[in-house]
This record gives sequence, C-alpha cells and structure tokens, in this order.
Amino acid sequence: MNTGQIISGIGHTGLIILALVGGAFQSEPLPFEVTEVTAISEEEFAALLAREQSPEAMANVDTPEPPEEGEAPELSSEADIPLDLSQPEVAESVPPDQVPDLSEIVPPVEAEVSDEVPELVAPSEDFAVLAPETSLRPRPREAPRVAPEPVAQPEPDVRIDDIVQPETTPEEAPEVAEEETEATSPEEATTETVTEADEPSSAPTRSLRPRTRPTRTAQPAEETEQDPAQTATDSTAVDDALNEALAETAEPAQPAGPPLTSGEKDALRVAVQRCWNVGSLSTQALETVVVLGVSMNEDGRPNVSSIRLLSATGEAPDQAYETARRAIIRCGANGFNLPIEKFEHWREIEISFNPERMRIR
Amino acid sequence: MINRIMIFLAVLMIWSPPLSAQTGPLRIEITEGVIEPMPYAVPDLVPANSAAGELASNIARVIASDLSGTGLFREIPANAHISRITSFQSPVQFSDWKAINAQALITGSVSVDGAGKLVVQFRLYDVFAGQELGQGLQLVGTTEGWRRIAHKVADQVYSRITGEGGYFDSRVVFVAETGPKDKRAKRLAIMDYDGANVTYLTDSSAIVLAPRFSPTGDKVLYTSYETGFPRIYELDVASVGRRVLESQEGTMSFAPRFSPDGRQVVFSLSRGGNTDLYVMDVSSGSSRRLTNAPSIETAPSYSPDGSQIVFESDRSGTPQLYIMAASGGEPRRISFGKGRYGTPVWSPRGDLIAFTKQSKGRFHIGVMRIDGSEEQLLTASFLDEGPSWSPNGRVIMFTRETQGAQGRASLYSVDITGRNLRQVPTGTGASDPAWSPLQN
Repeated sequence: MNTGQIISGIGHTGLIILALVGGAFQSEPLPFEVTEVTAISEEEFAALLAREQSPEAMANVDTPEPPEEGEAPELSSEADIPLDLSQPEVAESVPPDQVPDLSEIVPPVEAEVSDEVPELVAPSEDFAVLAPETSLRPRPREAPRVAPEPVAQPEPDVRIDDIVQPETTPEEAPEVAEEETEATSPEEATTETVTEADEPSSAPTRSLRPRTRPTRTAQPAEETEQDPAQTATDSTAVDDALNEALAETAEPAQPAGPPLTSGEKDALRVAVQRCWNVGSLSTQALETVVVLGVSMNEDGRPNVSSIRLLSATGEAPDQAYETARRAIIRCGANGFNLPIEKFEHWREIEISFNPERMRIR
Repeated sequence: MINRIMIFLAVLMIWSPPLSAQTGPLRIEITEGVIEPMPYAVPDLVPANSAAGELASNIARVIASDLSGTGLFREIPANAHISRITSFQSPVQFSDWKAINAQALITGSVSVDGAGKLVVQFRLYDVFAGQELGQGLQLVGTTEGWRRIAHKVADQVYSRITGEGGYFDSRVVFVAETGPKDKRAKRLAIMDYDGANVTYLTDSSAIVLAPRFSPTGDKVLYTSYETGFPRIYELDVASVGRRVLESQEGTMSFAPRFSPDGRQVVFSLSRGGNTDLYVMDVSSGSSRRLTNAPSIETAPSYSPDGSQIVFESDRSGTPQLYIMAASGGEPRRISFGKGRYGTPVWSPRGDLIAFTKQSKGRFHIGVMRIDGSEEQLLTASFLDEGPSWSPNGRVIMFTRETQGAQGRASLYSVDITGRNLRQVPTGTGASDPAWSPLQN
C-alpha cells in the first residue's frame, strides 16, 4: 500500500471512532408542544362562536352641527406701535483721569525686620482629615401600597407614629418629692495631663459586705449522745481559739461599718489641697514631706489644737508643717464634707503633704 | 476530725480582718496644691510716743514693700482691715483678720527717745492657727537708720514664713550711667537693694566696670580705665579710699572677684594678646597663673566653698562655660546649648550657676545646675547681661539695655522661677550690679 492509502485509512478510522465515541449517532427527541384540549358539546361551541362575533356598527350617529357664523373681527390697518428710531442721546464724554500728584506720596516706612529666624513649630500631629467614606444609600423598604386594614383619618394635630397612644389628660399635679441629690464638689484642678492609662479605674475595688442573715429562732438542738471527753476537748479548743482571736482583734480597735469610699476620700483630699498654698515656701521647704495628724469633730471640722506633726523628711519641717496646718484649718473652717455615718472612720486622720510635684524646678 | 476542721475555719474567719477594713486612722496624701502669693496684713506700727508717729507708718510701708516685692506675698490694704491695732500688747482678734483672709499678721510698736535712739518691736502671727510664728523681736538703731530696721523686720518675717534667709537688708553696688550712648559717663554707686539711699563712690572721670563686693561687704573690687588701660582697684566702701590691686606693665587686668574667704582674688590678665585666669593673694599681692591656653578665659566666679571656679572661655570656638578646680587644672565644659554663654556666677547656695546667653539675636539671663543640666532661661530681651545673686540665692539682679541710640541701661531683678520680673529704681541709668551679702 502506498502512503496515501495508509493516511487515508488512518484518517477514516479516526473519524469513525470519533463519531462513535462523540455521540454523533445519538439523537435526542425533538421538542414538542403539549396543548391541553377539552371536549365540549355543540351548544358550548356555538356559544363560543357567538361571543367571538364582532359588534355591529352603529349607523345613526349624531353629526355635530357647525357653529353659527358670527361677526368677523374688524381688521385694523394701523401699525401696532410705531418704532422709535430716534438716536439715543450721546453721553457727555468723561474727562480723562488726571495724573496723580506723586510728589506728596510718602514712601512706606520699612518695617523692622528681625534677622532672627522664626522658629518653626512642627505640628504635633498630622491634621489631615480624610473624607468620610460614603456608603450607598440603602434602598428603602417597599411599603405596602394598600393598608392591610382601613384606618380612620387621625386628628390633624396627632403625630403619626407606629404605636397608637391614647391622648392623656392632665391630672392634678402630684406632690413632687424632692429628689435626694448627692453633694458635689468642683472638679479637681490638676497641673499635668493624666492619660487614660494613668487614671484610676472607677470600677469598685470591692463589693459591699453581704448583710448578715436574719437571726433564727433558737431550735432545740437534738440531743445526741456524744463522747464527753471529745466534747470537752472541742469546747476547750473553741474557747481557746475564740479567746485568742478576740484578744488579737481587740487591740487595733477597728471602726465598724463600711469604710470611706475612694470618692469620699478624694473629696477630702481635694478640699485640703485647695488651701495648701506653697507659693511662699522656700526651695528647701518644697523638698520637705510632712505628715500631720488631726482629730476631727463630728461636724467635719478639725480640732485645731489636735493638729500635730507626726513625721517630716527635709530641711525645713517647721515651715512645711505650718503651711500644711494652715491648709487644714482654712479649708476645714466650715467643716469637710464627710459622711457622718462613717465618723468612726474619719475621727482620726493622717494627712501626708508631699510637694514633689510643686517644686520650682 | 470534720468538726475540728469546721472549728478551725470558723476561728480563722473570725480572726482574719476583712481585706477592705480600715486599720488605724484615715490616711490621705496631698500631692497637689496651689501656688499664689500669701495674703498678709501689716497695719501701721503703734507709736509709743509722739516722736515715733511718722516712723511707725514709714516702717510698716517699707516692710510691706519688701514682702510684696518678692512676689511671694500679697498685702491686704489697710482700708480692708476690720480690726485696728491700737496697742502692741493687746491680744489680737484673729476672727477679724480671718474674715479678710489674712494668713499672716505683723504688729509692732515704735519708740524714739530724745537722743534719736529708735526701738522697734514686732510680732508675727499665723492668723488661722491663732498663734505667733516665732517669738517677738526688738530691734534698736537710730532714726537715720530706720529703713535698715524695717528691712531687718521684713527679713525676719520672710525667713519665718518661707524657711530661707531674707535679702532685704543688703546693698547693691553698680555702675551709674549718664549721658548719651556715645559719650556716656560712668561711675560707681551704691544703694540699698530696693534702690534707696544711692551714694556715688567714684567720679565720672574714668570709665569703671564690673564692681564686685568682698564677702564681708566692706570692700569693692572694680576695673577702671583711669590709666588708659584696664586696671583692678580695691575700694573701701566706708572711707571711699582705693588702691590699685594689680598693675603689671604691658598687661590688662579685669573681671576680678573675691574668693569666699576674701583672701584671694581671681581675675583675667591679658598679656601679648592672650587672656588667661590668674589668682592673687590679697595680702601679699603675689599672683599665680591658673590657665594657659591660647583662647580667652575670663569672668571667673568661685563656688561658695571656694574649691572650684566657673569661668567663660572660647577654647571650643564659641564662648562657653567651664568649671575647674580653684587651684587650676583641666577645665570641664558644662554648657552645651545652642548659643554663646558668658558671665557665669555661682549661686550662694552652691546649687546653681547664673549666666548670660546670646542666642538667635537675643540675650537671656538663665540658670543651670553646676553640671550644666536643667538649663532654664529666665529672661529675654535686646540685651540682658551681668547677673548677680541675692544673698539668699533666690533672686537675680542684672542689666537690661534698650535698643537704639537712645537706649538706656537699667537694673532688673527676677526670681529664679522666672516670675516677678521687676525694674529696680536707680534714678539714673545703671549697669553691672553686684549684690552684697546681708549686712550685720
């Protein structure tokens, strides 16, 4: 066989394989339309034909009468408005500007220019403002075109709202009880910026102590047989432990009740520091820390004669003490704002005056 | 066993105090206060006799001027007083003074006898504490010296309240200037620290510069061009007698200053175009060289203990401040800011150095720590120079000259905090102030 026959044989063989594998001989059914038909009677068919007949044309249609002839409007031959062809008045010619007299002009005084190069203060931060990103306007929710239920037309002054509120009628004004307001104090002045990280947390550091349980009526204890020796040992141990505990707790007489809150302490601190004037102190006195003790009266006033110097570190304790004492007396003259129910907690106060932040340098 | 554990836990709960309980007195710490002048009242002193009537009022006014002039105190005027002090011995109605917020009250009496002897008594009260600050004090002098007595009272009040020494009973020597700028006459003058009692110590025949007090305040060193070249002179304040302290042929000597013990004088000497520091023994007149550099070394000032000297040198290319041992040696540079530094003066307290700084076309008076740290500029103007410390190291007096052909030199004082800048009244133009120590 020659080469041409071989190529022809290979080509036809491949074509046959492709036709078999590619599905050239597979045929899908042609699409067809399905129509539902209904068997009807002759009467029904006749009725259908009668409805499909075109309507008859009306022959006796009224023809509109033409309007009566009226008087024709008179035609005027006069021109509407004569044209004003006169020439506009020529305005008087404006005299040319006079040449200013430059001789009287005083040359401007040269401003004093300092050779000093102004200091350029670099901005502390970049103030560039970015345009706010605009968001696509939300597509409004489609509202029902027709109200699901008929609604009576409201009064003209009634505000349209989703919730129907009945009109309230004014009643007699009840007695307004004065709301108890807590005492406030002016904001504490400060000499430095306190960052948020440095600010003390306003979260409570401790919770109130739970109330004690209501006392129960004593129930007769069930008598159980116990070993007398064991009972004696337990009671002795309990007594010893209680006595020991009571003896230890009795020494540092702790005031009863909840202590002053941090806010109440801060209020006292602010009240004292408002009168602590260190403006007349020497640099040595400004390096002196003094701790003063003071006994308080129940009305919040300090007992002046009780003010005493507890400790001092520095070279001018006398002046530092006198300045601190003056602060306590001056701002305590009208009584510090302290809760009377916690008097036992502030009956004795120790105040440390530390002028470290108030030093000259 | 369980019973024992329960008992132990119960005891533990009873024994252990709650964490939030307050033990002992309430404790608070005050770290912020206010800085404002302290209000005080000083009513006219009570005259013990008719001869003391005018002095009683004048002394009170000088006391008030001294205290209020510091910027640390604020006087409550007499028309606001509720109480009148009619007797020095009568008890004080503190409530009346509290009502006007007077925190300190000064009362006193004055008596003058026929021989001109002046007796002043005073008391200082802490009004809100309702008690005296210190004890009452009596001062005796002459009627001519009533201002000094008033200054001494003010010094006592200042010292008792602030805790540092006063500076009111002190004097200032300066160069009084008259005439136009191109033909200005200069002479030495001395006055009270507040500008009162100006007295001239030299005539205006020769230019005088840079007077400096001795540690005892009875002598003044200064530089004069009497011979055509600058020479150092020593002047006795009481007798106004003077002598040449340093005179070497072919040299120029200037910028002298006493050592703290008054036995030595450190100064600049220019020889052959080179200026170095020298120290001279006052009694023998012998001099010794302290620096040996091709640069200009000048404006030396001793530390209060006499162990070190701060001076000005341009050895680095621009005038800067250096410290070295009083006996000489390698100096240590302490000024590193931008600008030119000069005329350093060591504080009487020893903790600060005042200086003149020229930067960006302006002059400043400033202070820095002796190691050069914490530099603080107190003033700024066309020309500020020549600082001098008050005896207590709290105030600096300096020269301020205004710009232009009609510019005039004046004396100013400023607190080391930079507050309370005030012009010192001198009558004429004035420059080169030197503050004396407190008088005895």
